[in-house]
Amino acid sequence: MLRSLPMGERIEVTDTNGCRWTGTVIPPHELSGDRVLSLKLASGYNVGIRIGSQVEYRRLAPSPTRRVEAQEGLPPSATTVPDDGRTVDLLTTGGTIASRVDYETGGVRPVSDEKEILEFYPELKESGGVRVVPVLDRLSENIAPSDWLLLADKVVASFARGASGVVIAHGTDTLGFTAAGLSFLLADLPGPVVLVGAQRSPDRPSSDGPSNIAAAVAVARDRRLGEVVVVMHETVSDGRFSVHRGCWVRKMHASRRDAFESLNGPPLGTVEGTSVHLLPDVRPPARGPPRVDGPIDERAGLLWFYPGLSPQKAAQFVDGLRGVVLAGTGLGHVSSVHTDWIRAATKQGVVVAMTTQCLSGTVDPYVYATGRDLLRSGVLYLDDLLPETAYAKMAWALGRARAPEEVRRLLSEDRAGEFHHRRRPEATA
Amino acid sequence: MKVGLEVHQQLAGAKLHCGCPTELSETVEGSILRRLRPSVGEEHVVDAAAAFQAARRLTYRYELGPSNCLVEMDEEPPRPLNEEALDAALSVALLLGCRLVDEIEIMRKIVVDGSNTSGFQRTALVAVDGTVEVAGRRHAILSVCLEEDAARKVGERDGELVYRLDRLGIPLIEIATGPDIASGAEAKEVAQEIGALLRATRKVRRGIGTIREDLNVSTEGGRRIEIKGVQELRLIDSYVEKEVARQEFLLGLRAELQQRAARVPSDVANVTDEVAGVGHSLLSGTVRRGGIVLAVSLVGFAGLLGSKSGGEERLGRELADHARSAGVGGIVHSDELPGHGITEEDVARLKARLGLGASDAFALVADSSSDRGMRAALRVAARAEAALEGIPEETRDPLPAGRTRYSRPIPGRYRMYPETDVPPVPVTVERIARLRATLPERPGATRHRLEGEHGLSPELSRQLVYGGELDRFEELVGRAHSAVRVARLLTQEVPEVAAAMAPGFDPPLGSLDELLTAEERGQFAKEGASRVLAELARGAPNIEVAVAASGLKGLGREELVQIVERLVGEHVDLVRARGGEAFSPLMGDLMKEVRGRRDGAEVAAALREAIRAKQEQLGGPPP
Repeated sequence: MLRSLPMGERIEVTDTNGCRWTGTVIPPHELSGDRVLSLKLASGYNVGIRIGSQVEYRRLAPSPTRRVEAQEGLPPSATTVPDDGRTVDLLTTGGTIASRVDYETGGVRPVSDEKEILEFYPELKESGGVRVVPVLDRLSENIAPSDWLLLADKVVASFARGASGVVIAHGTDTLGFTAAGLSFLLADLPGPVVLVGAQRSPDRPSSDGPSNIAAAVAVARDRRLGEVVVVMHETVSDGRFSVHRGCWVRKMHASRRDAFESLNGPPLGTVEGTSVHLLPDVRPPARGPPRVDGPIDERAGLLWFYPGLSPQKAAQFVDGLRGVVLAGTGLGHVSSVHTDWIRAATKQGVVVAMTTQCLSGTVDPYVYATGRDLLRSGVLYLDDLLPETAYAKMAWALGRARAPEEVRRLLSEDRAGEFHHRRRPEATA
Repeated sequence: MKVGLEVHQQLAGAKLHCGCPTELSETVEGSILRRLRPSVGEEHVVDAAAAFQAARRLTYRYELGPSNCLVEMDEEPPRPLNEEALDAALSVALLLGCRLVDEIEIMRKIVVDGSNTSGFQRTALVAVDGTVEVAGRRHAILSVCLEEDAARKVGERDGELVYRLDRLGIPLIEIATGPDIASGAEAKEVAQEIGALLRATRKVRRGIGTIREDLNVSTEGGRRIEIKGVQELRLIDSYVEKEVARQEFLLGLRAELQQRAARVPSDVANVTDEVAGVGHSLLSGTVRRGGIVLAVSLVGFAGLLGSKSGGEERLGRELADHARSAGVGGIVHSDELPGHGITEEDVARLKARLGLGASDAFALVADSSSDRGMRAALRVAARAEAALEGIPEETRDPLPAGRTRYSRPIPGRYRMYPETDVPPVPVTVERIARLRATLPERPGATRHRLEGEHGLSPELSRQLVYGGELDRFEELVGRAHSAVRVARLLTQEVPEVAAAMAPGFDPPLGSLDELLTAEERGQFAKEGASRVLAELARGAPNIEVAVAASGLKGLGREELVQIVERLVGEHVDLVRARGGEAFSPLMGDLMKEVRGRRDGAEVAAALREAIRAKQEQLGGPPP
């Protein structure tokens, strides 16, 4: 019934109480009730009107459109980065940073069209030398490890075309996974690869997207950096941004602007305005050319241990995988009832690695008997790698090597600066 | 003249989209800094008002406190609509005879003056098409909305606006009337009636700033002007009258400008070098600090900028307000020159530079930032040009004493788009039936009841119902105090003390209860209540201390008789000479001594008795 109404047209319609309403037919909210017609009234308000099965309506002439000349207010230069001839490619993948309210479904919808991106971020037009390259248009929960490989290829292509740095706009939910995956997949980077996201969609005046992107572009132009980093708000205030190493960072809050944190050590640097401050031990640019150190093997898994997890369930989970990362308790433990399947799995060539679900701190198998047992059962302890980073590294290592021993060797090696060899107290305060 | 009202009333309880309390707080636990920018809405158009405000590029500082959580900070999605607040809005809509919508859809209304951390206000249309009757006239109610209040502005410094988040998110019921009000006095009455209806729900917040009015005023031949956020109901008529006068002035000015074929050339001239040496400290100071001075030529405007026409309306002030809206301190215009350190020669030189003659005028804008200065100069030019057309549609801020000042353009419908983070709320038949069964008493019926049940005079019942003290009246009467006494205390003594010594003085219910109890126990007479209240306003922590500080320690019956006998004894001659007529002069002396310590009627009776006794003793004629 509702579908027969002329979408986008102005009508006069009678509701079930016999009252008449005039407005433009708009798509109903996803959670609207049955037989509720959404109308946009002349005042700009949307309302829901209950209509009967035999709805009567009359089409009206469209209201005269009042175009508003609003050029004065668009901030052209507040976050503009000076064009010093260094071009930056902006790869878009979807996510909040490149999403808009979808008036058809009421939800948030990713955009990938360059025109739409520039409508959101008019600053980019002026910070000359930023080229938009649409790659995906997905919310980040829908991004898979195979997409990391696609992105890695696009990054290499961008550098090959002469970009001095690459910014990847990505949804924040799995941004940490992608950052870790790219940290292992991209080798010999001649410049920065900066992942950036937004916690507030760009159709909101308060969006953190524009300032995050501006900071990310500033980092992407920096000549001192040759690694995969994440740039996001440092605090809930606007104006300062943290530069996180891609394999150290984790989304630690569901909604705050400063959700991203480097764990087990300080971030690599900060951005204020367009000035980028970096620690001395960042990974410098390689002479290149950059390459993709792939492929990826998706037969990797990440299993969060919890009290009551049965060994049967765990074994089922591992069935068909070539490697599994355990997020264990404390220093890296799981219940001793799991020792048997772990021993059997490692014997069959499955690589079982241990991280801590505490996230901060390192695993250590030697302190408790449980750890020593697990070690004897073949579990590989991965120090202070985040469970997500370890999972990404597992998928990468499985892609690179066939033999379990070789996979274990790759996992233990420091490839992208992912291990902290010591943890200073500031970081755990 | 046509006037329409928008009444905004805060609700008590919890905020509209989170569980925070609706109490304001002076505790500041920290602050955050933010910037906002206009965003492209549903129809790919940036709203004019939003763009206008963003052009100032301010930084906003938000103070955090006990009445906010991550939701007000725009760090967490809003929670579903507060159902109790919705019930209140629906009840009011039913009282106004409105048509309710069937499903409430929450919208975002773009507001980038920084008063909302998100950059928009959440608002929902609840009902349309009702009426309110005042003094036998029916006025149209266009809409009833439920929305979030904005953060409150607590300061401005160095391009940084400071807001506190305690007020942000407090539920507001917004009621808009049709433009069918014919005078300022009527506007005030309609506002009072709507205010009383809102308070009838017993869910509203009380105190200054908890109810605010927007006034839409247009005159014949003029356009709509919105005066936003009037907090003082009693000034509504003067805002309307002053706005009408302003619009009439502008229409007169248009006629004069058209007759002179006045015009505003489109270019703005940089006269920084020309004014470098003048004696005007703002201009030369700006130049010295590396700023810019810009001139807007106003051909044919000479003599029309200043106040020579009489009255307080003048175009110069309008131009200055527009410059201020761009973040510049003000303007200097040629009608006030020579003067302020600018000589006749300076003026002549500037006019020559601008190619202007004797009938022409100019306005100067000075600022340390050339961007901001240019923006301000363009706004001044645009405003001067609008004077040729008459009255520009705009939003104005209320100032004390009924004056207003330009604030920004009127926002259009492009500022609305759906709040997708909050699900729509169906208004079910069951819900409406429940609310209809428990609809609050209408103000007229309440007055009737007060007069019948409590014997209040029509004037007292009117003051209680329209003055906002009904809740406390009923609470205190419920605690067994005399209704008439409570009504007088709330509608006369407390407001008088507040007006005389402490604006905003609003003693808590418990103090009023204690005060009445003390009075009933004879600790002081009702004539003394104002003095006790005054001590409370001065800061006495409780009624006991206030009574002691007021010097009104109660007077016993015996003590009163002693004082009366002593006084009469001192004036034996007077009693002898004038007999019963000695009462008036002696009563005056006596009250000086005992006012407020003992009931006046009892004092008078005691004096009469003492005079009669003295006369008998003197053997005079019987009374």
